[in-house]
Amino acid sequence: MEELRETYITPVVPLDFTYNYRVGQYMERFLNSLKDKKLMGVKCPECGKVFVPPRMFCGSCNQKLDEWVEVAQTGMLANFTVGHVVLEKGARLAKAESPYVLGLIKLDDVDSLLLARVEKVAPADLKKGMRMKAVWKEELAGDYSDLDHFEPA
Amino acid sequence: MRNVGIIGVGYTPVFVSKRRDVNIAEMISEAVDAAFRNTGLGPEDIDAMVFGNMQTFEGLNLPHLWASEHIRALGKPIMRIATGGTTGMSALHAGYYHVASGLHDVVMVITYEKQSEGDSQVGLAGIITPEIMTMLSLGIDLTGGTGMGGLGGGSAGGVSFQANSYLNRSGATIEHIDKMAALERRNAALNPYAHLKDPDATPEKIAQTPLIAYPIRFGHVCPTTDGATVAILACEKKAAKLADKVAWINGLANCASDATTGNLIEGLITDPGEQRPCMIAAKKAYEMAGIEDPQKEIDMAEIYNGFAHQCLMFMDRLFLCGEREAHVLLDKGELEITGRIPVNPSGGVVSTNAIGTSALNRVTECALQIMDKIEGGHKVQKDVHNAVAHGWGGLMQYVTVTVLGDKPRKR
Amino acid sequence: MENKVAIVGVNLDSALDIEKSRERLIFDLVRGLMDDLGIEPTDVDTTIFATNDFLVGRTISNVFEDSPAGVYMRDESKVEMDATNAVMYGTMRILSGNYQTALIVSQGLCGHQVSPYLHISYSLNPIYDRQLGLLNELSAAAFQARDFLTKYGFGDDLMHAIAANSLANAALNPRQARQLPDISPQQVSESPYYYEPLRELHCYPPTDGGCAILLASAERAKELTDKPVWILGLGSSMDTYYIVERDLTVAPSATKAAKRAYEMAGISDPAREICFAEIAALFAHQEPILAEALGLMEASDAAEKYQSGETAIDGKLPINPSGGALGGHPIPATGGFRVAEATLQLRGEAGKNQVKDPKRAVVLGQDGICAQQNSVLVLGI
Ligand SMILES: [Zn+2]
Repeated sequence: MEELRETYITPVVPLDFTYNYRVGQYMERFLNSLKDKKLMGVKCPECGKVFVPPRMFCGSCNQKLDEWVEVAQTGMLANFTVGHVVLEKGARLAKAESPYVLGLIKLDDVDSLLLARVEKVAPADLKKGMRMKAVWKEELAGDYSDLDHFEPA
Repeated sequence: MRNVGIIGVGYTPVFVSKRRDVNIAEMISEAVDAAFRNTGLGPEDIDAMVFGNMQTFEGLNLPHLWASEHIRALGKPIMRIATGGTTGMSALHAGYYHVASGLHDVVMVITYEKQSEGDSQVGLAGIITPEIMTMLSLGIDLTGGTGMGGLGGGSAGGVSFQANSYLNRSGATIEHIDKMAALERRNAALNPYAHLKDPDATPEKIAQTPLIAYPIRFGHVCPTTDGATVAILACEKKAAKLADKVAWINGLANCASDATTGNLIEGLITDPGEQRPCMIAAKKAYEMAGIEDPQKEIDMAEIYNGFAHQCLMFMDRLFLCGEREAHVLLDKGELEITGRIPVNPSGGVVSTNAIGTSALNRVTECALQIMDKIEGGHKVQKDVHNAVAHGWGGLMQYVTVTVLGDKPRKR
Repeated sequence: MENKVAIVGVNLDSALDIEKSRERLIFDLVRGLMDDLGIEPTDVDTTIFATNDFLVGRTISNVFEDSPAGVYMRDESKVEMDATNAVMYGTMRILSGNYQTALIVSQGLCGHQVSPYLHISYSLNPIYDRQLGLLNELSAAAFQARDFLTKYGFGDDLMHAIAANSLANAALNPRQARQLPDISPQQVSESPYYYEPLRELHCYPPTDGGCAILLASAERAKELTDKPVWILGLGSSMDTYYIVERDLTVAPSATKAAKRAYEMAGISDPAREICFAEIAALFAHQEPILAEALGLMEASDAAEKYQSGETAIDGKLPINPSGGALGGHPIPATGGFRVAEATLQLRGEAGKNQVKDPKRAVVLGQDGICAQQNSVLVLGI
């Protein structure tokens, strides 16, 4: 007898999932400050670390964070990668149109790193420890895309 | 087997339809804080954690990962449990086994749902996404009169079959459902952690709400709620050290029947009100707890009822009354907070439904009654020695039962 | 933990694109396991699923898995994490004395139907990382890889060697999905970049698969098998979500999990007492990081260990003799695969992948971005 091959169908899901994520008061203040080209963080009263973007808790100290600080927009490149792929809708892996650079920026006086796109530097010239500065969009919308990228300072 | 007790409970300050002021992780942290405040414990006292919610509602996969800091879970073992409507109680059971196994002494169980951030009906329809897809691809119209769209898990369409079946078998009427819903809305008005409250609810008022699918009226249906609940469990030795009062988990069980599509349709056509898994689980849990006659020995019940008729339906499935008796007890006033067998003094799921918490709240509400730590006016009048908590979910085919007592079982 | 809970049977199946529905896969796995052991669903006291609703594409995915797994009017629950955690939950249930047997069932069809990257993408902070769209599992792993290589002054060739070790083992193993016979470090180095320095063959492949594992109490195990594999220790732990605050070159939560598991198992010198390791390292560089956390090697010695063949099947301390997660990653069954492969090894049934006379093994499963959460089991005969 012929071996059974199980058939499957792949219809397009007609359901549209809509989510409304409340950002909470910490992220709201961060977003609002983007409109003024400011980067805001919170400082832990116990370990003194400054976190950007801000959040409610320092996990290792079990402390609620409420001391706000405006942080510098310059720092150094702590880590980088050159992306050759992107995740498209449905997290499908696809080839990027052209390679692009992502960096983890260690802002001066901040203890967490900030993940951002890095521009105006050739991949071959990327070096850990390079000085970087924030570059803003010309027209600010009060969302995360306001802080456009980092580039060598 | 080690005895395991609940030594503390924490709720978010409110259970409401929209928590606009906090994000998901922040909201959960409020319940964690409350549990610490109520017990005087801190993160260092917690050996392990169990975390549960229904992730497709918020579209957030494994939310305990992102919330790691907010729930004070760094460096701790944490297990994520998700079984749909019963998630809260399944998580509690996992917490129980963390302790009963002897591997951990003090365990925190955390559940939440922030339903305002997602689409609950889409979330529920997601139970049968592949079936819906198949039907659509075969050209079956889900919007028209075929009724197929009503198959979704907890949706009113599917449940109306069940309610009709129950009314038919029990002799209860739609007016009894109105009455049950009114009772629960009134109870909810006494509970600071309930969502839909109406101190003046009457069966007549409920009867005026629009009919969704006979016999389900708008007034019979649970709301969608934002909220989080935390319970702290401990072994006997630790409980003696850490708590003045303990509600012991003396019996627990769960049972699933079949949910594949063919049988589902068969089930809906035959008897979705049968709920055999509930009877199997209840028997097992009572036996474990040493309860021989639940009608005599159980002092109160918290029953999972996304829809008001389910409270009556599950009463007999939990052996709290005879098969055609629940509505008679309701008529006699015995299910009231002041009655002989108070049911859902908290207001039930019909009044508050942050899904991940709903089945756990059934347990924590029983526990608080036993520990005499109820905040608000919904403390039942009689002493509570033994209580039963019930969770229902899956695709209308999965049940969890927990029997709690003011004394641990003797071994 | 002396001989209290045993693994008495395992069954597993995977492919890059399996020609089965989830339900059929589960039925075949469970029925096959039961036939091996000569038991029926009524012999199973409880079933613990490890599945993920996102990847299955349905809410409460366990309800449709009940029947094919033999759960009808019976007891079950679901752990929505890597399957090692379901094995732990089953173990707890048996240790409580309430159950004598526990069936663990896990599956994930991320090879063809669903993108495996969906898993982590949807677990990211929804109010920042997900909106920013820069962070994903692969870009995070690339940062981790670069930090690791820089810290010890290693070159990319170490990543190629680690991957080749796993992929060569996987090619010997018919239970693995990714089959690349005659793979060499050279070939790995020629695979395309995802995020530098991470290349395709440094990463797990999108995989379909599932596993079924039966646990039993000591008493019941004697009746079911003459080759029980004992769960000697277990532990799990969690790090912070924020990879921008973690030192990605170490895995403290894996260290904590291992410490607890080793203590239970009475192991004080894992590098000497453990015969081999099955580690769910999703990317080549994670293997030495996690092996170090498990106390099996110093990550700074990684180049020497991998180039000298010490980690190979016939080496002094074989790591992922099955081929590991680079051979297949059917989320969230991957940790279950590691448990099942370790069980086969300890029973001497691992075929071409067989390590010589192993007595004790350590298994690691992970969840979250850059192995945020880790679970460790120590198994032995
Ligand atoms: Zn701190």
